[in-house]
Amino acid sequence: MAQPVVPKRTYLLAYLVLLALLLLTTILAYINMGPFSMVIAILIAAVQASLIASFFMQALYESALVRVVTAGGIVWFLIMMTLVLTDYITRGWLPFPGK
Amino acid sequence: MSTTVAVPVETNYLTEKQGILSWLLTTDHKRIGLLYFFSVTAFFFVGGFFAVLMRLHLLTPQGVIVGPETYNKLFTMHGIIMVWFFLIPSIPATLGNFLIPMMIGAKDLAFPKLNLASWYVFMLGGAVTLWALVRGGVDTGWTFYTPFSTTYSTTYVVGAALGIFISGFSSIMTGINFIATIHRMRAPGLTWFRLPIFIWSHYATSMIFVLATPVLAITLLMVCFERLFQVGIFDPALGGDPVLFQHMFWFYSHPAVYVMILPAMAVVSEIIPVFSRRPIFGYTAVAYSSVAIAVVGFLVWGHHLFVAGESVYSAMAFSFMSYLVAIPSAIKVFNWSATMVKGSISWDTPMLYAIGFLGLFTIGGMTGLFLAALGLDVHVTDTYFVVAHFHYIMVGGAVMAYLGGVHYWWPKISGKMYPEGLARLSALIVFLGFNLTFFPQFVLGFLGMPRRYAAYPDEFQFLHVLSTAGASILGVGYVLPLCYLIWAWKYGKEAGPNPWRATGLEWQTASPPPAQNFDTTPIVTRPAYDFEGMKEELHLG
Amino acid sequence: MADHAAALVREHFSTAEQQRETETLGMWIFLATEVMFFGGLFVAFTVYRMYYPQAFGTGSAGMNIVLGSINTAVLITSSFTMAMAVHSAEVGNPRLLTLLLIVTMLLGCIFLGIKFTEYYQHFLEHRMPGVWFDYAGPAASKVQMFFVFYYFMTGLHALHMIVGVGVLLVILGRAMAGSFSAGYSTPVAMAGLYWSFVDIIWVFLFAIFYLQGLHV
Repeated sequence: MAQPVVPKRTYLLAYLVLLALLLLTTILAYINMGPFSMVIAILIAAVQASLIASFFMQALYESALVRVVTAGGIVWFLIMMTLVLTDYITRGWLPFPGK
Repeated sequence: MSTTVAVPVETNYLTEKQGILSWLLTTDHKRIGLLYFFSVTAFFFVGGFFAVLMRLHLLTPQGVIVGPETYNKLFTMHGIIMVWFFLIPSIPATLGNFLIPMMIGAKDLAFPKLNLASWYVFMLGGAVTLWALVRGGVDTGWTFYTPFSTTYSTTYVVGAALGIFISGFSSIMTGINFIATIHRMRAPGLTWFRLPIFIWSHYATSMIFVLATPVLAITLLMVCFERLFQVGIFDPALGGDPVLFQHMFWFYSHPAVYVMILPAMAVVSEIIPVFSRRPIFGYTAVAYSSVAIAVVGFLVWGHHLFVAGESVYSAMAFSFMSYLVAIPSAIKVFNWSATMVKGSISWDTPMLYAIGFLGLFTIGGMTGLFLAALGLDVHVTDTYFVVAHFHYIMVGGAVMAYLGGVHYWWPKISGKMYPEGLARLSALIVFLGFNLTFFPQFVLGFLGMPRRYAAYPDEFQFLHVLSTAGASILGVGYVLPLCYLIWAWKYGKEAGPNPWRATGLEWQTASPPPAQNFDTTPIVTRPAYDFEGMKEELHLG
Repeated sequence: MADHAAALVREHFSTAEQQRETETLGMWIFLATEVMFFGGLFVAFTVYRMYYPQAFGTGSAGMNIVLGSINTAVLITSSFTMAMAVHSAEVGNPRLLTLLLIVTMLLGCIFLGIKFTEYYQHFLEHRMPGVWFDYAGPAASKVQMFFVFYYFMTGLHALHMIVGVGVLLVILGRAMAGSFSAGYSTPVAMAGLYWSFVDIIWVFLFAIFYLQGLHV
């Protein structure tokens, strides 16, 4: 087997960090940060997602191609999000109805 | 040791195993390609039948063939079947499936069972859609715009949407298969820049399959959800935005049109070099352009929403990017043309279709630029100008390339040659019939004839009559190959391994190929389209 | 051991490593398609959240943070046990593999149980969208919109969980039949990828639905 095996300690460490982040994000949710509440929550979720992908899913240990595929999925999601939001955010910027 | 030795019978992928089950349970990519070929041909004629009814109805200004509600169902079903059950699978699932492993020197695709599953999923989706058709059809247009599709239409929206949803998974499976295959299953020595452009274009197509189709899937699910529970995702009365549907629908559907054209470009990129006896001009540019079309194609969908209510600033951004996406296509057109310069041109049927493609795709593509200009679009959007534009690309482009590819690889697939004289005549009939059908539609659109209308003012009748006349000629042009290709399968002349003296790996094995494609795995040392270097071998081919 | 592994290399592959790499690549591409699938809903949710922040905050306040965070912890744990299961397959420990697969499935079922309890709870509170929805406050239809996305997105996620449990059941069967060894554990790894991915989706769902209504 050419595939390196991720050590169990790494999994355990990742697991504990994930639980800690869960605690953190839940506590932070009680603090009113206005629109940033959502941003912070998503950011922490993104960190959790990276840990799960990198270690539990072994993305860090796989070929570069796998990482490109993963990055591609994320980038394409962001393209969809960004260009759709561009419309909604810029609506009403002109003084004409429906523009 | 016996002195009488039995002569081994050479089997190929067709004769190796017989019986209906050996086809329905096959994992051989070549047989699966043929299963798809059978299916998409059937769907093409179903979709074509609706087109015939529409063109007959439009012969007179008030239309006597069908009522207006039925007319709505006709153009909807024509669109749904042609887009999802013919154009999108046509080249990738038939020619792509058949040829990709052969072109890279592999025994099969990466996931043969997934390949077979993709055909069954496709057929299931088709069956559900046809069931919706038989039950009464859908009248929303193939674009399912809300809130008509979610709230007001009384037709089988959910049925049709589910059928399309299911067939989408077939595309996704094919895309995954192609990408994994092209990355991991190339023969020794076959580096990326030695690959035929056919492979590059299908790789780009597969990128779109996997990244865009899921969005269509979720969008159709949302429509079904809303229709079933009346909860207002796209209903303004309940806080929803119908334009959001259009964003999500076109996020898929615009890249989908590149799914329809990239494989056509793949075919043309193979045909033109062979029938010019010259390598493709600017190989690297053409390879990168294929990927560029796929990538930039994801950034332009808002041009379908210019008059729908999207903001002016985002419309400007989408307009700009729509101009950008034309550039890689233009590069390809220049390079195909340059390939033919000082070439030794043969006018065989595949080349006729490829050259037809070149002209008609260019016209279709350039009229896209008209539509991408915000001001012009206000005038021509939702008119026959758009209808003509996309038919020039889809039919004048993709279908012509499909026919060209089918003829070009028919000898490889069947082992027989088709009748060249009759085939050239058919190609000419298709070309003439096509232009007579659709060129008048540019004029109609510019003069103000809206699309999807069952009746029109008297002054448009002449152009409509021309268009219908063209359609009847075009129909003949499509039925002829159906007949003579079937005839040739049985009675055609033996083709031999390389009747066109082409350079690709698929031509280095028998026609029809053996089940495992190659007797020994080829080792590649040459660039693609190496006519010069292979002069010796090809003379004997 | 080597024979056992070699026998599982399919005919169109040249080496076991090529097969493993190709299958892994295929699974990651599939997961990218899932990102786009769920992604569409995330985009739509974002648009409406941008337009109706108060109504969506009200909706979020109706979520059960205790059950939600327990569920998140349960799923993260199941992702951990699944990774450990893959590990035990890779080192050739079939008994540990079996045990960990069962634990993972149990955690998945606990998640689903809690989830359906929440659904029922919302139903009793007249928050289930459609004919069952009844909200007395302002912008009722926008609060309903929140719950439309809640049910749709977490429901789609739950469906993926159910499929995941089914997949693990199949893997469990093969593990108990002795199909896996240190030389061949790819199906377990593939199941693990799917399972962890579904966990990743949940982590984002938790963030957007549960955490936005806790502060006043």
